[in-house]
Amino acid sequence: MTDMLQLTVQHPRPGLAIATVAGDVDLHTADTLRREASDIIQRRCPHLILDLSQVGFCDSAGLSALIGLWHATQAVGGALRLANVPDRLMRMLVLTGVDTILSVHATTEEAVSAMIADSEPTEGHHILS
Amino acid sequence: MTQPASATDPAPGRRPELVPDPDAEAARIAAVRRYDILDTPPDGAFDRVAAMAARLFDVPVATVTIVDTDRIWFKAAHGLEGVAEIGRDPGLCGSAVLRDDTMVIPDTLKDPVAADNPLVAGEMGVRFYAAAPIVTPDGHKLGTVNVLDTRPRSITEEDTATLADLAAIVLDEMELRLSAMRALRDEQGRREAERRHAEAERARAEAERAAREKAEQDKAAIAAFASTLQRTLLPPALPVVPGLELACHYRTASAHDVGGDFYDVFPLDSDRWAFFLGDVCGKGPEAATVTALARHTLRATAQIEADPVAVLSALNTMLLTDVTAGRRFCTVLFGLLEPRKDGGFTVTLATGGHPPAYHVRPDDSGAVWVRAVRPQGGMLVGAFPQAPFARTTFSLAAGESLFLYTDGLTEARTTEGALLGEDGLTGFLHQRTAPVTATSLVEDSVTLLASLPDGARDDVALLALSVPHPHATPDGAVAATARTAAAPEHLGQE
Repeated sequence: MTDMLQLTVQHPRPGLAIATVAGDVDLHTADTLRREASDIIQRRCPHLILDLSQVGFCDSAGLSALIGLWHATQAVGGALRLANVPDRLMRMLVLTGVDTILSVHATTEEAVSAMIADSEPTEGHHILS
Repeated sequence: MTQPASATDPAPGRRPELVPDPDAEAARIAAVRRYDILDTPPDGAFDRVAAMAARLFDVPVATVTIVDTDRIWFKAAHGLEGVAEIGRDPGLCGSAVLRDDTMVIPDTLKDPVAADNPLVAGEMGVRFYAAAPIVTPDGHKLGTVNVLDTRPRSITEEDTATLADLAAIVLDEMELRLSAMRALRDEQGRREAERRHAEAERARAEAERAAREKAEQDKAAIAAFASTLQRTLLPPALPVVPGLELACHYRTASAHDVGGDFYDVFPLDSDRWAFFLGDVCGKGPEAATVTALARHTLRATAQIEADPVAVLSALNTMLLTDVTAGRRFCTVLFGLLEPRKDGGFTVTLATGGHPPAYHVRPDDSGAVWVRAVRPQGGMLVGAFPQAPFARTTFSLAAGESLFLYTDGLTEARTTEGALLGEDGLTGFLHQRTAPVTATSLVEDSVTLLASLPDGARDDVALLALSVPHPHATPDGAVAATARTAAAPEHLGQE
């Protein structure tokens, strides 16, 4: 079922959300990812970590959605970090050079740590400390 | 009828003439009109009644008359050949039609009113007259059945009753005729209604058919539009580049989806040429907009600043200022071709996040050397303002080829279900046999795609450039091949 995409959201700290994405991210589901993750960002969670360990397939439409979400976090002074990126998506990120902008982490724990370390100097978002 | 009309004042002592009541007369005339018999052609049934009356009464003349407003019209006239009607003079029929019973005048000369009637006073000299009114069921007297003789005579009550019977027979005939006419009218009405219904049905079916046809035309028009749009987004044909062989292939996955793949080869100043191949992330009209914008920006920018990195940067800026900014990106390979004295070309290739191009050369042993041309650090175009782009420069010598493609090729699935991938493509290129040319690379790749179980699920664009060996082009002849340019397999509208 390629048109099924599920996001499971955790809030380990105020202002930080970890969304676990399950399913394929393609032309049919990319908008769902973009919409639901944007909602999370708008609902006072400008720091978003996407756990992609349960993503089977991600094509250029999925890549577009990730880039759109990165812009969305930037617009509200937050950040987007990816964890457990599947090999194929990783190759696409490297190929397109997007890996130099979207931070990629081996685990969600790593991503959380990086997010906290990174956000400390940020004014107005003391929530993470 | 040359006799003077009986318009003179009745002589004193004459029997008072019946004067029709205007209302009764109007209703009577309406009844006459209802039977619609005036001025109809002769009819055997009425002729037989007249003939029968003449025979029964042994008289020279017998008629069936219908009394109109101002005339007495003969529906049948036995013994009065050539007379169709006479004036409505009082005395005979004109009077008989105003009575409910049979009128008998044994001697007209002894009847004060009849004596002045033209038929009596005139040439014809009628002396005996008897008439039974033709009375409708609702009591209107339409006319008479009458018998006339030129000598006076008397008839029995039985004869009078016979005359009334004949008048009743005439009414029956008229009723039959009326109901036949009504039936005919109803039938005609029914047929007319049927005809109109059939016509309406036909019109409805025609409208349905027209609507269906319109829908088909619209569908075809949309497909044709997509096809036209697609063709305008593609170069109509590759140009002839001196000393270079070119080949390309383009295929959309769906006839209705305008694809996002694009490529072009075009001249710059003097003897330099530029080429590009790219892939817009996404599909449909939005992708097509980006495709068109990308092509035009790349071509226009290269005329001003030929450096491939500068060209990609310009495109990046352009896409970010476009209305679709931040939503639509593309990956592009952009190359610059500068001819060398040895017959080859110096290629400067920049990438904007696109899969590597392949530099291919058969070596002396017949094996094929393959190198991925992968400038490091080139980002996809149109997503980030700070996007860096990277270039690399190399020599494309005689016998060598450069192969560019979109990910529709590397993401095609093999028989085992895995993606062909870069490894699969590299392996495929290794298996080519000399001589490797732009044409053979594209043709072999198309064959490869066709051999895969699903073919390509996505759009595929292929572009190959090769430098022919000098001995392959005697007399310095130019080899330039443009293959399957802008001929998407699924777009049948030509």
